[in-house]
Amino acid sequence: MRNMGRLTPWLYLAAPLGLLVIFTYVPVVSMFSYSLTNWDGVSYDSEFVGIDNYVQLFTRPELFQVFFVSLYYLAASLFQIVVALYFAVVLSFKTRFRNFFKGILFFPYLINGVAVGFVFLYFFKQGGTLDSFLGLLGVQSRQFWLGDPDLVNVSLSSVSVWRFLGLNFVLFLGAISAIPSELYEAAEIDGANRWQIFRSIIAPGIKPILGLVTILSISGSLSVFEIPYIMTGGANGSTTFVIQTVKQAFQFDKTGLASAAAVVLLALILLITWIQRKIVPDERNELA
Amino acid sequence: MTRILAATGKYASLVVACVVMLLPLVTIFATSLKTSQEMATGETLALPRNWFNFDNYVTAFAKGDMLVAFANTAFILLFSITGTVLIGSMAAYAIDRFAFRLKRVVLGLFLVAALVPGVTTQVATFQVIDGFGLFDTRWAPILLYLGTDIVAIYIFLQFIRSIPVSLDEAARVDGASSFKIYRSVIFPLLKPAIATVVIIKGITVYNDFYIPFLYMPSEELGVISTSLFRFKGPFGAHWETLSAGAVLVILPTLIVFLLLQRFIYNGFTSGATK
Amino acid sequence: MHKRALLLAATAAALLAITSACTGGGSAPAEQDALSPTDPSKVTGEVTVLTHRTDLVQDGTMKKYADEFKKTYPNVTIKYDAITDYEGEVKIRMNTENYGDVLMIPAAIQRNDYPKFFASLGGAADLSAKYRFTSNTTVNDKVYGLAGFGGVNGFIYNKEVWAAAGVTKWPTSSEEFLAALAAIKAKGASVPFYTNYKDGWPLSQLGGALGAISCDPKARDKLAAKESPWKAGSDLRAIDTLLFNIVKNQLIESDPATTNWEDSKGLLATGKIATMGLGSWSIVQMQDAAKKAGKDPSIIGYMPFPALPGGKPCAVLGPDYAYAVNIHSKVKPAARAFIDFMTDKSGFAESNQSVAVLKSAPMPAALKPFSEAGVQLIELTQEKAGEVDKIDKLSEIGALSTHDYRQKLVDIARGAAPGDLNGYLDELGKKWVAAVP
Repeated sequence: MRNMGRLTPWLYLAAPLGLLVIFTYVPVVSMFSYSLTNWDGVSYDSEFVGIDNYVQLFTRPELFQVFFVSLYYLAASLFQIVVALYFAVVLSFKTRFRNFFKGILFFPYLINGVAVGFVFLYFFKQGGTLDSFLGLLGVQSRQFWLGDPDLVNVSLSSVSVWRFLGLNFVLFLGAISAIPSELYEAAEIDGANRWQIFRSIIAPGIKPILGLVTILSISGSLSVFEIPYIMTGGANGSTTFVIQTVKQAFQFDKTGLASAAAVVLLALILLITWIQRKIVPDERNELA
Repeated sequence: MTRILAATGKYASLVVACVVMLLPLVTIFATSLKTSQEMATGETLALPRNWFNFDNYVTAFAKGDMLVAFANTAFILLFSITGTVLIGSMAAYAIDRFAFRLKRVVLGLFLVAALVPGVTTQVATFQVIDGFGLFDTRWAPILLYLGTDIVAIYIFLQFIRSIPVSLDEAARVDGASSFKIYRSVIFPLLKPAIATVVIIKGITVYNDFYIPFLYMPSEELGVISTSLFRFKGPFGAHWETLSAGAVLVILPTLIVFLLLQRFIYNGFTSGATK
Repeated sequence: MHKRALLLAATAAALLAITSACTGGGSAPAEQDALSPTDPSKVTGEVTVLTHRTDLVQDGTMKKYADEFKKTYPNVTIKYDAITDYEGEVKIRMNTENYGDVLMIPAAIQRNDYPKFFASLGGAADLSAKYRFTSNTTVNDKVYGLAGFGGVNGFIYNKEVWAAAGVTKWPTSSEEFLAALAAIKAKGASVPFYTNYKDGWPLSQLGGALGAISCDPKARDKLAAKESPWKAGSDLRAIDTLLFNIVKNQLIESDPATTNWEDSKGLLATGKIATMGLGSWSIVQMQDAAKKAGKDPSIIGYMPFPALPGGKPCAVLGPDYAYAVNIHSKVKPAARAFIDFMTDKSGFAESNQSVAVLKSAPMPAALKPFSEAGVQLIELTQEKAGEVDKIDKLSEIGALSTHDYRQKLVDIARGAAPGDLNGYLDELGKKWVAAVP
C-alpha cells in the first residue's frame, strides 16, 4: 500500500504532464536549441553559432528599439488600471443600473480578437466611426488615426484598453466585494467620507490584486501582438517586439535569431513574474 | 449639494464609458443592416433604413461557411473543455492530496508554461503536431489547448484546498480507493470550479485564432475566427457584409454572456488570478 | 531553491537530448522524379494542391479547372488548400513531409535546396525548349518548378482619368510621370497614385521594374556584387526615388494607413484612383472590377516604367509562383499531370491576360499596346539568384521579397518618419554591402 502510494500521484499526473511536456516544453527546448544556430526555418542544414544570436540582439540597438513601442502599451495599461479601479469603486456602491453598466464595461473582453480587429479598422478608417462621431460633436477631425506616426500607437493601445478594461475592472470589483461589509458600515457610522473609505478600507483590500494586475500589464505590454498585427501589420512605427520576431523568422528566414529573441522575451517575463512574487506575496505563492 | 454633484459626476462618467464601449460595436451592428447603396453615401453613423434587412447576414452565413464553422468550433469546444476539466482536476488532486518528491518542480512546470508566448514557438510545435500525424485535423487544436494553457489547474488547486481532507479520510476508512475518492468525493464537490473552468476555457477556445489558422488550413475545417478571417479576402471592400460576419461571431458570445453573467464574473475573478 | 533550479536544468537538458534529434536538421530525402505520365487512365489518386489564390478557390474558378482536368484523368481527384498567409504557413509546413502534392514554391526555399524538397520535373534542356522561365527553377540541369504564368511590370491606370488630365501618351521619364500625376491631381477628382500601403505587398510590386530601367537582363545578378543596389544611376534608386517623389509631392491617398486592396480595384475602375504600380497580372482583376462597376473594361490601361533605355521603353518579363511536386508525394504522376494541365491546357494564363509559360502560346491581348509601342521585353538571368536572395534576407532589407523598407520610405516621404531620401537609401546600401560575403 505504501509503495502504491508513491506511484499513485504520478498516475493522475501522467496525462496532464505528458501533454504539457509534449506540447509546451518540447517546443520551448527546441526553440532554445534553434537559438544557438543560424537555421533559416526550413532548410535541412544549419550551423551552430553559439551565442552569436544573443550577442546580435544586445548589440544591435534597432532590435531593442521596438521596446519603446511597449511604453505606449504600458502607459495605456496604467491608464486602464486607474479607470478600471475607478469604475470598480463606483459600482461597488449602490448605483442604478449597476448590472447594466457592469455588463457593458466587461463585455468587450469576451469578443473574438479577429472581430475586434475588424470593428476597429472600421472605427479608425477615414470617415469611419470615430471621425463621424467627432463630427457629430462638432469637431471636424481630419486625423489619420493609424496613419499619423504620433497617433498610431496611441490608437492601437487604446484598442487594448477598450478590450482589456473589463477584465481589470471585474478583478477589482471581485476584490472589493470580498471586503467584509461590516467594515464599511463601521466606517460610515464613524462619519468617514468616500475618499477616506477608499483609502483606509478599499485600498488595503485590493493591494494584492493591484500588484498582480500591474505585473500582468507589464508583461502583457512586452508581448503585444494580435491587435497591431491585424490592424497595421507593424507598419508606421507600430512594430512590437513579437511582431519583429515573427518578421525575423518568416520574412528574413532568421529562425535562429528569432528564437533567441523569443528566449529573451520569455526570460524577461519570467523575471518580472519572479519580482512580482517577491514584492506581492499572496497565499497562492505557496503553490510554487 | 455636493451629494448631487457627486452623483451627477458618477452617472456622467458611467454614461461616457458606455458610449465609448458601445459606439464601435453599435456602428458595426448598424452597418451590418445597410445595403451597399446606403454604404455609398458615406454617412457612417446614419441608421439603417430597414432594420430587418438581413441580406448581409445571409451572404455572410452562406459565403463564410459559418454553419460548418460553428460545427467545428462546437466539436473542438466539447473535447477541449471536457479534457481540460478531467486532466486539470486530476492534476490538482494529485498535487494537493499526495505528498511526493518533485512536487514543486511539477508545479513550476505548469506555472512557467502559462507564460510562454505561444506564437514564438510555432515552428517547433508544428513539428510535434505533424509528428503525431495530427496536422489538419480537429485534434491538433484540441491537444494544443490541453497541453499549453494550464490556467485550469490553478483554479482547481485553489478550490480543492478548501475541500476538507477529513472527507477523503472518511471515505478511505470506508475502504475507498484513491480513484474512488477522486471520482465520488472530490470531483462532485468541484462543481463551482468546473463551471469556472468551462467558462474561461470555452471563451479562450472560441476566440482563439492563431492555432486553428495554422493547424487546420482545410476550408472544411474552418472555425469561427478563421472563417471570419478568410471571409475578409473576397469581401474586403464590403464593410456591410464584413460587419454582418463580425456580428455573427459576436452574437453567440453575447447570448452566453447574458445567460451566464454571474458565473462568468466569478469565473474570471478566480480564474485570471492564476 | 537551488535544488529546484538544478532539477529544472536537468529536466531541460533531458528534453534537449530528446528533441535535438528532430530540430533544424534531419537528413534530406534522396532525389526523385515526377515525370509526365503517358497513359491518363492509369493515373490515380487524390492530389492536394496548395495555392495562394484564395479568391479563385472561393469563387469556384479553381474547381472548374479541377473538373476540366478530371475529364482527361478520370481517376484523379484534385483538392485545394487555399492559404491566406501562403509564405508563412507553407514555410512552417515544409518542415514536415506534409505540404501537399502540388504547391507553389515559397520564396523562403533556397534554390540549392530545391532537390531536397521537390521532385524533379525533367531535364533543363528538354523543358527550357518548351517552357519559359525554367532557368528560375533549375538546379544541376534539372528543373524543379514550372511557373503558372508570366507577366510584365509596370503601372496600371485608368485611361479616362489620364486623358481628362490631358495626358494621352505614356510618360517617358520620372519627371514626366510626376508631371502627369500632378495634372491629374489638379483636376481634383482622383487620387493620382494609390500606394496600397496598408496591405503592403503592392509596394513590393514596384521592385518588378528592376532591370527595366536599364534594360539589362543581368540587373538582378549584379546585385550580388559588393556595392550598393541604390548607388547613383541604379534601377532600384530610380524606382525608390520615383516613389519617394510621388509621396512627397502628395500625389497619393491622404491616409495610407487605412488603404484597402479590395476597395482599390473598384476605385481604379470608377476613376477615383488614377494609377497603381502593379504587375500585369492585375489587368484582368481591374477589368473585372470595371465590369462590376458598369464601366467598359477597356478603360483600364497598362504602361511600362517611364524610362527609355536605348530609345524605347523596356519591361521585364518574369514568372509568377512556380508549381512544384512535393518530393514526399505518394501520387507524383497525378501531381505532375495536374501541373502539365495547368501550364499547357487549362487556358489559365490566357483567361488571366498573362503570358503563358508555353513558349508556343501567343502573347495576351492585354499586352498588345506594349508590342505596338515597341516595348522591349527582357527576361532576367538567374545565375546568382541564390546569392542575391541570401544577401537580401541577411541584410534584413527584403528589397526583392517584402515591403517593409518601402513602407518606411513612404513614411519618410510623407514626413511620418525622420530622415531624407539620400540618407535612407545610403543606409540601405550600407546594410546591403555589409551582408555581401
